[in-house]
Amino acid sequence: MKLLRRALLALSVASAVAGVLRFKGKGVGAIKQGGWRKITDQK
Amino acid sequence: MIGIFGAGVVGSRVAESLSGDPQIQISVYDSSQVVAQRLARRLHETNGLIQATSRTELFGAKVVVLAGSSPHAPVAKELLERDVSVVSTSDDIADCLNLLALSELANKKKATLVIGAASSPGMSGLLVRNISKSFDSIDEVHIALHGTGGPACARQHHRALSGQSIGWHDGEWLRRPAGSGRELCWFPEPLGAYDCYRGELPDPLLIKRAFPELSRVTARVSATRRDRVFARMPMLIPPRAEGGMGGLRVEVRGTKNGERVVDVVGVAERVGQVAGVVSGCVARSISVGEIAQSGAFVLGESALPNEIILGQVLARGVQAHSFVRA
Repeated sequence: MKLLRRALLALSVASAVAGVLRFKGKGVGAIKQGGWRKITDQK
Repeated sequence: MIGIFGAGVVGSRVAESLSGDPQIQISVYDSSQVVAQRLARRLHETNGLIQATSRTELFGAKVVVLAGSSPHAPVAKELLERDVSVVSTSDDIADCLNLLALSELANKKKATLVIGAASSPGMSGLLVRNISKSFDSIDEVHIALHGTGGPACARQHHRALSGQSIGWHDGEWLRRPAGSGRELCWFPEPLGAYDCYRGELPDPLLIKRAFPELSRVTARVSATRRDRVFARMPMLIPPRAEGGMGGLRVEVRGTKNGERVVDVVGVAERVGQVAGVVSGCVARSISVGEIAQSGAFVLGESALPNEIILGQVLARGVQAHSFVRA
C-alpha cells in the first residue's frame, strides 16, 4: 500500500512538472529578428 | 510530344503545369489506365492535346517525365535506348546513382537525362545556383526539407529516416545514421520552425555534382518523434493521398567582398506541387530546345539554363522567399 501511494505521488509530481513545462515553457515563437521576402521572377 | 510516366500526385501536377501551354502535346501513362484517362479528361478543356496513352506509345515522345515511384533507372534506360530524353523526379540515392551511370548511354543516343528534377533534389539546385550569383564564392550548402508529396514520396521519407545519410565534409563523403543530428530549421511562413534530422537523401550527391567547388554539403528532413521511433519498422499506417503544406530551406555560405556571408532561401508549398512544376518546366525546356545538350545533368549545373527554368517555375505560382535580417 505504501509503495502504491509513493508511486502515485511520484506520478502526480512528474505530471505536474511536465504540465508546467508544457504550458509555461517558452517554446519556439515567431522569428523576432528579420523575416521572409518574396523572390520575384527576375526576367 | 511530352510524355508523363505516372499519373499520381506529381504526375498530375506535371500535367497541370504543362497544360497551360495549348501547343504542347501531352501523353499520360499510368499502370492504372483509368487514372491516366481521368487526368487526361480533367485537363482536356485547358489543353486539347492531352491524352492517356499506353507504355509503348511513350517511346514516340521527345521527352518523358518519370513521375511514378522509384526505381526510375530501368525505365529511363528503356527510354534512352529509344532516343527519348528523360526527366526523373527520383529522390532515392541508389536510384539516382543508377541514373547517373546512364550518362554514357544518354551521350551515345544524343538524349538528355535530367536527374532529381523535383523539390529536393531539383528546386534546391535551382535555388543554390540563383543565390550563388550574389556571392564571390560559395563553399557550404545545407538543405532542409519538410513534408511529402504523394504516398510514394511519404514511403521514401519513411525509408530516408532509417538508412544512412551521406554528406560532403571537407573532401570526403561522411556517412551518419539517418535520424541523428537534430537541427531546428526555420521555413518560410506559414510553416515556421521544424526539427530536422539527417536522412538518406540524394541532395548532397547531386548538389556536389552541380557545384564541385563546395567543401560541405548536408541535407536534412523534418521528422516528429513518432517518425523517428517507427522509421525502422514497416509503415503500419498507409500514407495519406497527399501531404499538407511542405517546405524547402536552402542555406548557402560563402564569401562576398572578403567577408563570410550566410544567405537563406526557402519555399513554402505542397512538395508534390513544387516537384511537378519543376519537372514540367525542365521537360518543356528540353522539348523546345532550351536544353539541347546530351548526357546526364542535375539541376543547378552550369550547363543548364537554370535561370530560365527558375523563372518559369516562379511564373507558375511557386513562391520562393529569401530570409532578410532585421
